[in-house]
Amino acid sequence: MASALQLVGIRKSFDGALALDGASFESQAGEVHALLGENGAGKSSLMNVAAGLYAPDAGSISIDGAPIALSGPAAARQHGIGMVHQHFKLVKPFTVAENVLLANPQPHFASGIRNIRAAIEQQVGELKFSIDPDRRIDTMTVAEQQQVEIVKVLVGGAKILILDEPTAVLTDAEAIGLLEIVRRLARAGTAVVLVTHKLQDVKRFADRVTIMRGGKTVAKLDPRHASAEELTELTVGQTSALPERSPHEGGPTRLNVGTLCYTRGDGRVMLDNASFHVRAGEIYGIAGVSGNGQAELAEALIGAIEPSSGEIWLDGTGDISRAGQTKRREAKIAAIPADRYAYALAGSLPISDNLAVAQIRSGRYGSVVKLDRAAMRQDALAAIADYDVQGVRSVGQKASLLSGGNAQKLVIAREFSREPDVVVAHSPSRGLDVRACAAVHQRLIAARERGAAIVLISEDLDEVLSLSDRIGVMSRGTIVGEFERPADRQAIGRAMVDHG
Amino acid sequence: MISPAPSASRGLGRVTLDVRQDLSPWKQAAFVGASLIFGLAISIVILAVAGIPPLTLASELAGVLTAENLSGVLVQAAPLILVGLGASLAFRIGFWNLGIEGQMIFGGIFAAAISIYDIGPQATRLVLMGSAAALGGALWVLLVAFLKTRFRVNEIIATLLLNYVAMYFLFHLLYGAWQDAKTAFPQSTPFRPFERLGDIGYGVNSGLLIAIAGVLAAGWLIHLSRIGFYTRFISANPRMAKIVGVPVQTATIWIIAASGACSGLAGFVNVASQEGRLTQSYANGYVFSGVLIAFLSRNDPIVIAIVGFLIAVLFITGQTLQVFYQIPFTMVQMIEAIIVMAVASSEFLIRHRIRWLR
Repeated sequence: MASALQLVGIRKSFDGALALDGASFESQAGEVHALLGENGAGKSSLMNVAAGLYAPDAGSISIDGAPIALSGPAAARQHGIGMVHQHFKLVKPFTVAENVLLANPQPHFASGIRNIRAAIEQQVGELKFSIDPDRRIDTMTVAEQQQVEIVKVLVGGAKILILDEPTAVLTDAEAIGLLEIVRRLARAGTAVVLVTHKLQDVKRFADRVTIMRGGKTVAKLDPRHASAEELTELTVGQTSALPERSPHEGGPTRLNVGTLCYTRGDGRVMLDNASFHVRAGEIYGIAGVSGNGQAELAEALIGAIEPSSGEIWLDGTGDISRAGQTKRREAKIAAIPADRYAYALAGSLPISDNLAVAQIRSGRYGSVVKLDRAAMRQDALAAIADYDVQGVRSVGQKASLLSGGNAQKLVIAREFSREPDVVVAHSPSRGLDVRACAAVHQRLIAARERGAAIVLISEDLDEVLSLSDRIGVMSRGTIVGEFERPADRQAIGRAMVDHG
Repeated sequence: MISPAPSASRGLGRVTLDVRQDLSPWKQAAFVGASLIFGLAISIVILAVAGIPPLTLASELAGVLTAENLSGVLVQAAPLILVGLGASLAFRIGFWNLGIEGQMIFGGIFAAAISIYDIGPQATRLVLMGSAAALGGALWVLLVAFLKTRFRVNEIIATLLLNYVAMYFLFHLLYGAWQDAKTAFPQSTPFRPFERLGDIGYGVNSGLLIAIAGVLAAGWLIHLSRIGFYTRFISANPRMAKIVGVPVQTATIWIIAASGACSGLAGFVNVASQEGRLTQSYANGYVFSGVLIAFLSRNDPIVIAIVGFLIAVLFITGQTLQVFYQIPFTMVQMIEAIIVMAVASSEFLIRHRIRWLR
């Protein structure tokens, strides 16, 4: 039987940098085929080639054994290849039906939208989704938006469905729901390609796995006959375990959040009397189903939003909930936000500037009159070496050219350069591969050992469980329960859901 | 993200677009230069069709660049460079200052007030007038800065419309309190010799010195000073800048004030050199020129000096052509527009690389 999708010897370079170096891939109809690899291994690039977004420099693509040339995404769609990108391609103020129509053009709008609506109803019924075609995208949760993306490509008649990091944005329960749908689609004869860096997903849901490293295909095997260690070894070479942590000593309270409230512009109450405290040398984890106020809590802590009421009290500084940036910076608070490019980096500016900006006021990089570029350069080179930031050709390179994991290391290098007393980390390992993730965790543990108070807000329960000394469960804008280490996963899970 | 490659497969191969990682400043300059030449070539063709053979054009251009005409070009260049600086400083932090004319008017009014009320000793009179002009321009734009930061008023509309307020206030003065009693024309009494920007030798007007000082000061501000460092973050990512401790508001206010001060100085240079008194029209048309120069120079002060000079050459040549060849002035504006479009398209080539795949 010919492969549903076959890519052979694909090469692709971007302005001289080789992203794909003779990569190959093939998948069969009716199977879930995982494409596993670290960030920057070339998984997404390879699938973008299959989806017609990138034109390969060399290599061939064939569908059902017949070689094809893709002139663009539309051509890929005609050949039955549909891709759901990691960052959804949906028009937020449009309804579901309008978005699906946009991707599957019809000759006339009025009749088109009727046909589309019928097609959506049919797909939604088969997949057992609960999507109303007339709802606007911006009123939907991330998981629902993802369902819209899937419906969108299926309505287009996709026989090959590529999902790029589909579980990255989902909670545990949502991810399992999605992967079950994926299995069902495969049973119905679709060739599903699951691009991921999560071993769990691969072990539980894939029939076969292709592993990529450094733009090349390194292995193809049956995940049920391979151990997690083998798969990890193939993906990254080797991994490092979490460093030893000293038993908790319980220092003085460094950070106290008291009855913090925040109402969003649209009137929705996002923080509702949230209270907790964090001691020196302690990692306080905040777990919860996403959308229960964690993002707003993080934003209030790092000063991106001003809470409506309540206090954020810091030992030695006082309440900073409404303080200016100067006072915040003096308080030595380190901010590691979830959305790196929105809150932590200026992508169009050089790496060295991004590193220097937080300390420019201290005079370390020259006076008001004259910047000291040499000092910036020197510190940047040191930080890049210290924090193992990969992919840096020069410190003058734009920060946006770094991959997710390396951009995160850059943020941490800057934020930790001032030996912070308080660290606020929101989903610090989101979208990072195993190695980058381990590096980030090591840094957090190191800060804990140094005596910093750390707030770790994460939707990844495993991350919270493995790092935290105490865990607060957040639901509907407030902390509904606290658990000491070692915490019971089941109990936390119940607390997350019961109040949600 | 890499933009999808719009490509047509015709057997010969296809064109793909890559986003460039980075391009050396020299190569960027080469792209801009090549586009400029391309734009000029189109302009030459258009002028040839309109009846000016390229050779005649060349001799006219050469004529403009002779010693005696050059001084006229330099007098014209000084205010153009200053408004270019004014526009570029504001654009650097994403403040769309279209109120350059209004700021020039207030620069002129403040300078004239020093003369009319006879403030300060004669020896330092010009310095005082210049400082007053900078202050006038800065205050006029800070009004909008306040409205924007406090009430989120759109600065594009506010600065643009305040040009008219400034203009009618100027008319109010020139038809009223400050009208020249002797001639009864709507202009102020002439400045005294020590209140005028004279020649500093070789036919160069001292207004040019102010422009050059402005270029150096802006160059320092943008490239060397701490506030320049802040501006890059404010324009690249204001939210992030605030979180990492950049004093966004303070830096923004200072840069906007500097922008207004440059425009105010341009007003001062015009009234104190060319006109010698406050007139009705010394600020006319400078908004467009300022925006154009800032855009062509990609907001870089040193480049602004060069582009300001070239635009002055274009203006003076245009005037000559208008007088001797009956070319409408709209033709000069069209050439300006063609050059802008050519340079704007070079931006695309700087950001992307076009590759031919077989």
